[in-house]
Amino acid sequence: MKNHITKFFDEMNHYMKQVSHDEISKAFRILEAAYERDGRIYVIGNGGSLAIARHFVGDLNKTVFGHHIHKDVKRFQSVALPTTDAELTAWANDIGYDMVFAGPLKNYVQEQDVLVAISSSGNSANIIKAVEVAKEKGIPVIGMSGFDGGKLNQLADAKILVPTEKGRYDLVESIHETICHLITNYFQGVINYKEIGSQEI
Amino acid sequence: MIIARAPLRISFVGGGTDLPDFYRQYPGRVFSVAIDKFTYVIANHIPHAKKIIVKYTQTEVVDNLDDLKHTRIREALRDLGIDKNIEIASFADISSKSGLGSSSTFSVALLKALNSYLGNSLSKQDIAEAASRLEIDILKEPIGKQDQYAAAFGGFNVFQFNSDESVDVKPVNILHKTKNDFQKHLILFFTGTTRDASSVLTEQKSNIADKMEVLKNMSDSVFKFEELILKGDFEQAGKMLDEAWKRKKSLASKISSNSFDKIYEEGINAGAWGGKILGAGGGGCMLFMASPDKMANIKEKVVALANKEGLIGFEELPFKFTECGVDIVYRDDRK
Repeated sequence: MKNHITKFFDEMNHYMKQVSHDEISKAFRILEAAYERDGRIYVIGNGGSLAIARHFVGDLNKTVFGHHIHKDVKRFQSVALPTTDAELTAWANDIGYDMVFAGPLKNYVQEQDVLVAISSSGNSANIIKAVEVAKEKGIPVIGMSGFDGGKLNQLADAKILVPTEKGRYDLVESIHETICHLITNYFQGVINYKEIGSQEI
Repeated sequence: MIIARAPLRISFVGGGTDLPDFYRQYPGRVFSVAIDKFTYVIANHIPHAKKIIVKYTQTEVVDNLDDLKHTRIREALRDLGIDKNIEIASFADISSKSGLGSSSTFSVALLKALNSYLGNSLSKQDIAEAASRLEIDILKEPIGKQDQYAAAFGGFNVFQFNSDESVDVKPVNILHKTKNDFQKHLILFFTGTTRDASSVLTEQKSNIADKMEVLKNMSDSVFKFEELILKGDFEQAGKMLDEAWKRKKSLASKISSNSFDKIYEEGINAGAWGGKILGAGGGGCMLFMASPDKMANIKEKVVALANKEGLIGFEELPFKFTECGVDIVYRDDRK
């Protein structure tokens, strides 16, 4: 049993080291610019990736500002799209599952915004459709993908790829979640330095 | 109505190497950072007016494009095939000719606004190139591309100008803590005088053949400066600025006046490690790099001397770095 556990953690380590630091830095810069110009950050994904997406929205909106929550500090405007299960199932039922993100995105999207798309395969149809809406509008796309990156890794501006073999959702999703926390941690620092001049949490 | 904005910039090292007479022989480079001082351009469709209305420090109302006095706007409109039914206005946090790249920032914001008005979606690089084409090819200004690129991309960048006219954009991945510290080690002053870049740059352009070695060093020094900033070694970086300033002065006589030299020396004597005059150098802004505990003294000494030298408008210009480049900040024409 111990070997199994060690193997899993070793694989995690191995693939984390393969993620491009340059592309993560790109994501930092894209999100910081969005914050400065009051843009909205939409985060989308399917299944496990949707859970990561929703978690990330909460972290961007609240966790980043944890130590300054009662102060008059401008916060991120991150949005979980669509905003309700009802709207999601309406699009899926009436129009098609591939439109559950692209449809609602069209309602909200403006030039100041950013799209964060999370897809382990990089090929989920509803994710790619939403990315195409984003690109047509000219807004930056942060793409978190796995395996060979699929179409998402080609289209994204920040290409955060966890290059495992096909099917290793367990590793890809874990590392995507870690990267979302890395980004959250980075922005906690940005806000701390802005507000109190130090990292001290 | 569409509102576009673009940021001004501080260039640290490498300025002067973005001129074609240099980069056609050796890659030009500049380390530059966008700051939170913006120029805004508004484009509004006025289908019933049949005229062109342009508002800046003056207001112009014309029937024909040729009658428009504002050169940049006139030629941008001509180039894009817009000759009526448009109202354009500009707003700026800092007056023009400040040495912070304001002319090109304006061009970038203008082209973003006009292209969006026409429904064209352009990338940051496209806008930088369009602004460069407007200013260099169409208006024949003797300038380089560093300001257009800085305004379009925003943030910290090293731009490299290649002999085939292409520009490589390399973002500088500076950590938040280092960025914060860097800002604390800088103080910027508006000198209260403005200057015209063209005359200085024309002279600088004609001196390039003589100054190839100096310019090559300046271009290469960009990597060293980047390394020092990323490490947080602001003292060495400040000293590099001082050396670079001394070298740049050897390039053209109009780069700095006697008053400015005295004020710069005063800043150094008050504890600054180095600094520069921003822009093509005949006026504009003055920047110093120093330890934060020296800032109050530098400010006191430098402002006092400036006033004595007759520069009444000389004052500190507080600023912050910005990751933002050119953006549409508002539009109400959603279909």
